Amino acid sequence: MTKKSRMVLLISLAVFIVMLLAVLLFRKKTVKFEPELLNKAGVSGATFTEFIKVKLFYFSETSIYLQPVYREIEVPEIKEELYKKFIALLLSGDSGHITPVPEAVQLRSVYYLESKEMLVLDFNDLLSSAFPGGTSAELEFIYFMVDNLCYNFREIKKVKFLIGGNESKTLAGHIDLEKPFYPNFEWLKSE
Amino acid sequence: MESLLDAGSIPAASIAIFLRSMKKFIKPSTFFIIILALSPLLTALAVGIRTSDHEGFTRIVFEADRSFTYAVQKRPGQMQLRLSSRADFRGRTWAVQDSPLLERVIHEIQGNESIFTVFFKGDATVKKNFVLEKPFRVVFDLEKSEKPAAPLPSAPEIPEKKPDPPQENPPAPAKPKPIETICIDPGHGGEDLGAIGKSKLQEKNVTLQIGHKLKKLIESRTGLRVIMTRDKDSEVSLNTRASIANNQLAQMFISIHANSSFRKSAYGSETFFVSLQATDQESLELAQKENQNLEDPGETIKNDELKMILWNMAQTEYIRESSKLAEYVQNELNELLGTRNRGVKQAPFRVLMRTAMPAILIETAFISNNNEEKKLKNEEFLDKIAFAIYNGVSKFIYYYNNILK
Repeated sequence: MTKKSRMVLLISLAVFIVMLLAVLLFRKKTVKFEPELLNKAGVSGATFTEFIKVKLFYFSETSIYLQPVYREIEVPEIKEELYKKFIALLLSGDSGHITPVPEAVQLRSVYYLESKEMLVLDFNDLLSSAFPGGTSAELEFIYFMVDNLCYNFREIKKVKFLIGGNESKTLAGHIDLEKPFYPNFEWLKSE
Repeated sequence: MESLLDAGSIPAASIAIFLRSMKKFIKPSTFFIIILALSPLLTALAVGIRTSDHEGFTRIVFEADRSFTYAVQKRPGQMQLRLSSRADFRGRTWAVQDSPLLERVIHEIQGNESIFTVFFKGDATVKKNFVLEKPFRVVFDLEKSEKPAAPLPSAPEIPEKKPDPPQENPPAPAKPKPIETICIDPGHGGEDLGAIGKSKLQEKNVTLQIGHKLKKLIESRTGLRVIMTRDKDSEVSLNTRASIANNQLAQMFISIHANSSFRKSAYGSETFFVSLQATDQESLELAQKENQNLEDPGETIKNDELKMILWNMAQTEYIRESSKLAEYVQNELNELLGTRNRGVKQAPFRVLMRTAMPAILIETAFISNNNEEKKLKNEEFLDKIAFAIYNGVSKFIYYYNNILK
């Protein structure tokens, strides 16, 4: 191999590594869809609607780990609205899977604290009053919410729960709910 | 890991075209080398741990397939190695065999960080820490500490003791006393029914029955003093439960529960000890900072807040013992009950966080599972549970009184 071809090889290799690293480091997780998808959504003219593809994780009777389901949601202008949409989609469940949230539980509001990279979720009182109890059920609910949010939105590093607008000591007498929760992706691993 | 390798947005086609065009210039073997060189970027950090004993010190080495950044936090009886990336380490707990200074290593993943908590035997301390290359290794040399243990945080509800009169010769650091008092905490009670089974069995009644049986066993077989956070169907707050144990100077806290899950098929028993969340670490650092400020006589505003933080952190000093107690009890539950072993786990339990003693929470069986609900109605099954917990507790007492000290 000549000196010139070695140089070409080295430069090509360096460019390839830089490209790959750039792709890995700066890739966006939002996926813009092509016109046919926008048309399906009834969008025309100069208005463009952005969708993101999200990966929702649910429990099942056959696995102790959360199972993935893919969905698409439209991106609103306000970030908090996107989180609300995502949570509404999450709470609506998926057939054949278990949603570890008592029925009729609703999200009252969502706050994103950018300085703390923390999402605050405020649920209605039913979250506590209709909660079935049990340590496993509490952990299932907490990590169902936290892992789903932190997995799909990398800007969320931790999640804090409020019930009826107030801090609550626990959901049903076990796990300390006054502190925010970091994700535990162990719940997502495959068996 | 899936979360790190969500490759959906990598322009795979353009990479493939690029690689095909490069084939003209590069041999297939060079391709293999390139892919091999890049593969560590795409996988979780593979970490292995080994230990060795030498004259005067014990060495623990964290070896990885590539370099990583890390932070070390030292506390009495343990140290934490926090890696800035997620590590692939087989098993959550690794018990170190036959080491004079090391007991176990627990691995946890928090967000994108991996945390290795190394528990020492007795008063070990880190003498040296350095890094070696090829392969990348973080090495800690430990030696036996000469320093007495740090004072423990006290709960705000504990009445303050008057200081002892000054002595001419300060006493030697006191060794912790052998176990004399055990606190049993039957979960829920009163209007707090706990979880409810399909046939309306209530968790609060199951836990109280097991609690009474366990008290009787411990008192009759060991002669130790046993206190209960409730001995009838009454509602007791979680803070009060922890305060009862702290005020009565209990040296072991056993919270008894029956489990429930959204997955009706879930079954088995599991034992928990408290987990130290990252926010707890933030609280501890804040507490230490405030502690320094309190030395300044002008700074008294945050005293109550500090007490509260320290109370919340009360369990921190006992995690090693709590982990051991959980292990002993869970082993006995597995052996005697023949139910599914769900293992020893960690979670931020409010009642455990505030107890200043080895503390565990036992989920005996699933009341939400039809078969296990039937079992929990059976007196003999409850006897077996109480006996299994008693066996685990008695093994821990021996360990605590004879081996740990």
